[in-house]
Amino acid sequence: MAFFSSGSRALVEILMRMQSAERPMPVDHTFFEFGSIRYHVEASASDPENVYLSISTPSLSHEAAPSSTGLPEATLQETRKAYHKFAEVVEPPREGYVLTLKLNFSGLARPKDRVKAINQVSLLQSVVLSSQLRDMLGCLGPSGTMKLVYSQREPFFVSKTAEKIHAIFPMRFRDDTDLAIATSFFQELQDLGNSFARAPRCSWSPIPPPELRGEHVDRLTTNGGFVSFGVLSRHVRGKKRAAKTAWILLNFQAYVKYHIKCTRSHIQSRMRQRLEALTEVIQDASLRGNHDKTRSQAVLKKRRIKRRLISFAKANAKLQKGFRAILDKVKRLRLRIRVKGLDRLRRQCRCFAVPRLPVPPRTKEKEHRYHKLASVRSREQG
Amino acid sequence: MANTLRLYLTCIRNTLEAAMCLQNFPCQEVERHNKPEVELKTSLELLLNPVLICRNEAEKCLIETSINSIRISMKVTICHLEVKQADELENILAKKFLRFLSMRAEAFQVLRRKPVQGYDISFLITNYHCEDMHKHKLIDFIVQFMEDIDKEISELKLSVNTRGRLVATEFLKQFI
Repeated sequence: MAFFSSGSRALVEILMRMQSAERPMPVDHTFFEFGSIRYHVEASASDPENVYLSISTPSLSHEAAPSSTGLPEATLQETRKAYHKFAEVVEPPREGYVLTLKLNFSGLARPKDRVKAINQVSLLQSVVLSSQLRDMLGCLGPSGTMKLVYSQREPFFVSKTAEKIHAIFPMRFRDDTDLAIATSFFQELQDLGNSFARAPRCSWSPIPPPELRGEHVDRLTTNGGFVSFGVLSRHVRGKKRAAKTAWILLNFQAYVKYHIKCTRSHIQSRMRQRLEALTEVIQDASLRGNHDKTRSQAVLKKRRIKRRLISFAKANAKLQKGFRAILDKVKRLRLRIRVKGLDRLRRQCRCFAVPRLPVPPRTKEKEHRYHKLASVRSREQG
Repeated sequence: MANTLRLYLTCIRNTLEAAMCLQNFPCQEVERHNKPEVELKTSLELLLNPVLICRNEAEKCLIETSINSIRISMKVTICHLEVKQADELENILAKKFLRFLSMRAEAFQVLRRKPVQGYDISFLITNYHCEDMHKHKLIDFIVQFMEDIDKEISELKLSVNTRGRLVATEFLKQFI
């Protein structure tokens, strides 16, 4: 699902466009992602090689970091490490942002490397978040529980013990349908947990788990129960793996919401289909409708037959006409030229002499016939 | 299960065939008015005894007949949450589907916008409907409607659970 990919698509698009632009152009973009993460991309036409990227992420926990003015040093160091090839951390960051990076891709000669670097930059948010999470878990000590606020409306809890970390999500839904769909999903998630050894063990219970004992009642009031993931050390071994696990768990609530939304639309479309099928049955029952149908069908058939007959007759007439026209043409070609009344005129006034036209060379038979005619006429005249 | 449904539907079909002998009958109270007597219930002599056909405690069908109209009411929701928690999804889907159909009552001509109290969905067939439609096809429609609702709800439940399983698998696959 593209929606839950940790890379920012918008950021990739902006940076790619800047890289592929023929002329250097000034850029000043501000955009939001996931509701609360704000990006700012800035570049001037005079200095096109340096792009300033600022990011603002809300603090995951107000309890751990009450003054969320900047990022902890560990996060900054990690960011420096991750982007040292083409970026520098600007200190202090731009006003209203927690981190500003100065990107310079001119050091990367190959376009392939630049694309790779841009994709890496798009993961900045996940780097910052996972680093923040790790930092907070470190602050928690050997055991304890902490409330995290990734999405403002849906906080969740992280409980740390010596063996594992529990991510506990109190699930709240607005109506019964959502609740029923989600419950079915949680049950399946719990059942499937055993078959995926590499995934953290998932459990769902309608009552708060023992790790949340002592929390405020308001925080523990839910209608969808509590989903908890037991994250073991093997699930977070290696930086990449830890970041991935953190990202998946941070987006768990959004994932559930998305599933509910899709299932609701699926139900709606199925119901529509069934409605159409049932409507057809009642329309078939209609006397008038049926009668009209059969009548109209019969009428249509008759019309079709008539049309066919008419068209056949027309075609026949046309054929006959055409045949006649061809015959006439042939006749005209064969016949000599006739002028009406010329014979009578010639007979009446003998002085009117018709000039003899040169006879074109023809076949012997025809020549013979014309000669004959000519001789008869000459005899008559004589 | 299928057998009980078949018997239940056969019983409804037979009852409807017997009950659906409607004729035009003007209102006895208001002159030049023609109203479905089964709805008004003003003259008792024009009403027949209602027939209640039950499949189980929760699923039942009430057939009320009068001289010029017949009202068929159905209860299809499964049970209450406390009794059978596993069927909560089925219950919600049934309510949702019936509400969806009731909202589009004009497409069915014989469907009532509001069901009779205590039932989930109601049909009102008048003598005019019988004049306009084939009687046997109308009965077929009612029976098929009941059959389809049952089928659709169980299919919907199955598909929601299947989707849930698939989505859960995809979610867990991300960790691998």
